[in-house]
Amino acid sequence: MRICKLGIAVACAMILSSSPRASAQTKPPTAPPSGPNSNPAHDLSGVWFDDHPRLITVMQRYWAYTFTQEAPPMTPWAQALFDAAKPSFGPHAYPLEQTNDPIYHTCIPMGFPRIFLYPLPMQIVQTPGEVIMLFEYDSFRHQIFTDGRAHDTSLGPLWMGDSIGHWEGDTLVADTVNFNDKTWLDRMGHPHSEALHVVERIRRIDHDHLVDDITIEDPKAYTKPWTAHLPFVLKPKWTLAEAFCEDENSFQDIENDETKPAK
Amino acid sequence: MAIYRLGVAFTMVLSFLSATSAQTKAPSKPPTSAPADKARDLSGIWFDDRPRPITTNERYWIYKFNAEEPPMTAWGEAQFKAAKSSFGTTAYPLAETNDPLYHSCTPPGLPRIYLHPFPLQIVQTPAEVIILFEYDSIRHQIFTDGRPHDTSLGPLWMGDSIGHWEGDTLVADTVNFNDRTWLDRMGHPHSDALHVVERFRRIDHDHLVDDITIEDPKAYTKPWSTHIEFALRPKWTLEEQFCEDEESFQTLDKDAAAPAK
Repeated sequence: MRICKLGIAVACAMILSSSPRASAQTKPPTAPPSGPNSNPAHDLSGVWFDDHPRLITVMQRYWAYTFTQEAPPMTPWAQALFDAAKPSFGPHAYPLEQTNDPIYHTCIPMGFPRIFLYPLPMQIVQTPGEVIMLFEYDSFRHQIFTDGRAHDTSLGPLWMGDSIGHWEGDTLVADTVNFNDKTWLDRMGHPHSEALHVVERIRRIDHDHLVDDITIEDPKAYTKPWTAHLPFVLKPKWTLAEAFCEDENSFQDIENDETKPAK
Repeated sequence: MAIYRLGVAFTMVLSFLSATSAQTKAPSKPPTSAPADKARDLSGIWFDDRPRPITTNERYWIYKFNAEEPPMTAWGEAQFKAAKSSFGTTAYPLAETNDPLYHSCTPPGLPRIYLHPFPLQIVQTPAEVIILFEYDSIRHQIFTDGRPHDTSLGPLWMGDSIGHWEGDTLVADTVNFNDRTWLDRMGHPHSDALHVVERFRRIDHDHLVDDITIEDPKAYTKPWSTHIEFALRPKWTLEEQFCEDEESFQTLDKDAAAPAK
């Protein structure tokens, strides 16, 4: 039987925030200076964590399983798929053995943008030609090329899509296409097709806060584009822990943990 | 059925604009993230620089680190004899292998990840050297900010890595492993006492070496070492490649073991 470490990942992160190892990180590094950007407003680097408040009621917990409290405007095609979805999260949750969530039982990637709904930290690193989001969850990465290249249409359909970005003032605008249709958009079962197009507007609104305004467009699944707002808070003392998906127990652990009311 | 994407892993992105030229041609763009000391800049996409093997005996590097056998303890030898690898000269069929990666897509761990024939990308920040592997999106984060090992973490697939510079060489020290992986694709074992020391050095602009010392008193009678070479691939980018089922390994095995054309 495989043991999944997802359940302890959040706890690890919490521990790190107060451990001696973590404090070592706050000391001025002896290593190479500076971030990648001469423009400090373009420096998104750091470890970031979901900044949603802990919520009390089931209805308020929408962000644990879907991007917006309102239902997105589905086409009949999407509505049929959504009606057939048996999520294990949310107000209509099925028991784990009955869910048809594509990531259960197999640990296939949950894809983009669903990765943002996992309550584990994310680290941004930057190079001159890329902004890279490293997710603690299952070691996923979201590589956004900022060197002016075009989308690479030679790649097959991807779980995380093909992402290019450019700066508009202080905002990194990331454009992602070339998805497969094997994932759900969220943990409720909102579907998408291969026509999915995700635009993110990522901005560091102050030193400790980052927002990612996401627009989801998919004419096959949604009658019009819709948006979600994801706030993140900097966790300067955290580091990413190791959290590989190994079996469905992991998801139960996450759910139990994150749907607990705030203490 | 899951579809595996190993076959397209080597696609080159011709439109890639190198960081160096971007910097020199466009001073208004952000400066390089490279360390102030050029010799300590390991960043870029790197790929295994070994020649394609001709004979079966030369193909050892596809499934283990050295042609000669590492000095196993009795415990190590017993584990190794029980291993049913699907690679190498005495390969078992996929249905019979007990390779821990098969049938479950668990992480290959460190250092086995280096035996997977896919590129890696090194990214550096002031406090870290991060190795991103194309294979299964695995990450090897080496903290270079002076922190000690974090003994509060549980046993890890990739271990806990800290590093420091000795001249032009990044010395990375990794401990805190679980014992659920093989060291290589032949089935050489390790315990949770595994201790891996890597010495990374960029010997010239286009070449990087990683000299690895493997120490594990439970499995080996003395430390042993191996030498890995990488060549810079300035026009490549990492592709997406997730392990989805055991078929992937069959594809990978055939591809890696194919003689040079």
